[in-house]
Amino acid sequence: MIEVKNLTKSYGEINVLKEISTTIAPQEVVCIIGSSGSGKSTFLRCLNLLEEPTGGEIIVEDKNITDKNTNINKLRQQMGMVFQQFNLFPQKTVMENITLAPVKLKKKTKKQAKVMALELLKKVGLSDKADAYPANLSGGQQQRVAIARALAMEPHVMLFDEPTSALDPEMVGEVLRVMKQLAKEGMTMVIVTHEMGFAREVADRVIYIDGGRIIEEGKPQDLFSNPSHERTKAFLSKIL
Amino acid sequence: MGATVDVIKEAFPYLLQGLYMTIVISVVSIIISLVIGLIACFMRMSKYAILRYPAAIYVNLIRGTPILIQILFIYFGAPSVLDIQLSAFTAGLIAISLNIGAYNTEIFRGGIESISKGQMEAGRSLGFTYAQTMGYIVLPQAVRRMIPSFVNQLTHAIKDTSMLSVIGIAELTMVGQSIYAMNFKSFEILSMVAIMYFVTIYTVSLISTRLERRFVIS
Ligand SMILES: Nc1ncnc2c1ncn2[C@@H]1O[C@H](COP(=O)(O)OP(=O)(O)OP(=O)(O)O)[C@@H](O)[C@H]1O
Ligand SMILES: [Mg+2]
Repeated sequence: MIEVKNLTKSYGEINVLKEISTTIAPQEVVCIIGSSGSGKSTFLRCLNLLEEPTGGEIIVEDKNITDKNTNINKLRQQMGMVFQQFNLFPQKTVMENITLAPVKLKKKTKKQAKVMALELLKKVGLSDKADAYPANLSGGQQQRVAIARALAMEPHVMLFDEPTSALDPEMVGEVLRVMKQLAKEGMTMVIVTHEMGFAREVADRVIYIDGGRIIEEGKPQDLFSNPSHERTKAFLSKIL
Repeated sequence: MGATVDVIKEAFPYLLQGLYMTIVISVVSIIISLVIGLIACFMRMSKYAILRYPAAIYVNLIRGTPILIQILFIYFGAPSVLDIQLSAFTAGLIAISLNIGAYNTEIFRGGIESISKGQMEAGRSLGFTYAQTMGYIVLPQAVRRMIPSFVNQLTHAIKDTSMLSVIGIAELTMVGQSIYAMNFKSFEILSMVAIMYFVTIYTVSLISTRLERRFVIS
């Protein structure tokens, strides 16, 4: 589904990502863990070209997206993204947030888009909030709308960048529940997270990044219970 | 006393016509200046130096010179070199529009930059192009915040048009001048002119305050 080959990213002199290679299979749920500043967000944002890679290749569904000729806007329609800060459109209602892209980019009729939006809202447990504005929702509700908004484009992959880090603790659960459900339905997901419990339970694979490199990756039970690298051990002992 | 009332009565219709001209020029040039401001703003924010520099030069040149010079330059200076003729009205409109346009450029830029980067990223990540994200998502939010500033620009435009008297446009100041040149009642006439400006500008700023309450706070 996604193949990353020797991906590098630098800002001027600073090398943030160093030769990252990995493959994400269809329907796989991959969690990326690592300490602050290790390059997790940069890696995730390279996958949909919100950051332009400095070197290497990224192949999504057999298309080399680092090639100058790929239509990045078409590509991004297939890759939903959820941000730490939700980034809902504040001047639009929940319904408008969800239907804007399908109507403008997929040429759906307003009616089709609305029907779908209501389904998605039901799925994220917010059927009664269609007409609310983001400012009137809690953080957890906003993040669930953001997930619905991304899903409305019927993406093949969902990218999450610390989706629960900006939430009050009591709201983390509701967002993780929605994500768990998505995983169960077979969505391919790449998730940067500090929620180790979630990673352990839901991930097919966990990738530990440090200093812009993949230090270790593997099944969550292996990586968490039996890490093979010193750095992974040190990181896990700090947070678990 | 009766004489003063007569002076006022006699001058008023002419001054009203002058005021009408003032308002027409102000409103038309505000509209043109919004277009100029929007274009120059995107040029200034462009990643291409070839677009960025001309816009920066334009903004700084306008902000760094007196409007009177700009008016004289466009009416007398530029046509003499370019071998064209501009009517005073056209030259006046261009001068005010260019002047206000430079300030609008910075208002647009400030407004757009005040919208969090996350909005652009959210739009792009859904598959919108840069232009679509600007148009559907960023600009509508930015413009709401900018509306009071633009109304405020209108009050500047109204005041600036009085400078157009130097190139003989029959706006409020010019009309006032020609009336007291004939009847020598400069105190009465200039008082009337001042009051008419004040009432117009005060009305505009009242509207601005209203809009501010509606758009900025909500
Ligand atoms: N635009 C930029 N210019 C320069 N350096 C940057 C830029 N963006 C990120 N960096 C640097 O790249 C490194 C990796 O950043 P990144 O945001 O990917 O880390 P992260 O693992 O997501 O951290 P966190 O857990 O804090 O979100 C950091 O050292 C950061 O300072
Ligand atoms: Mg990050």
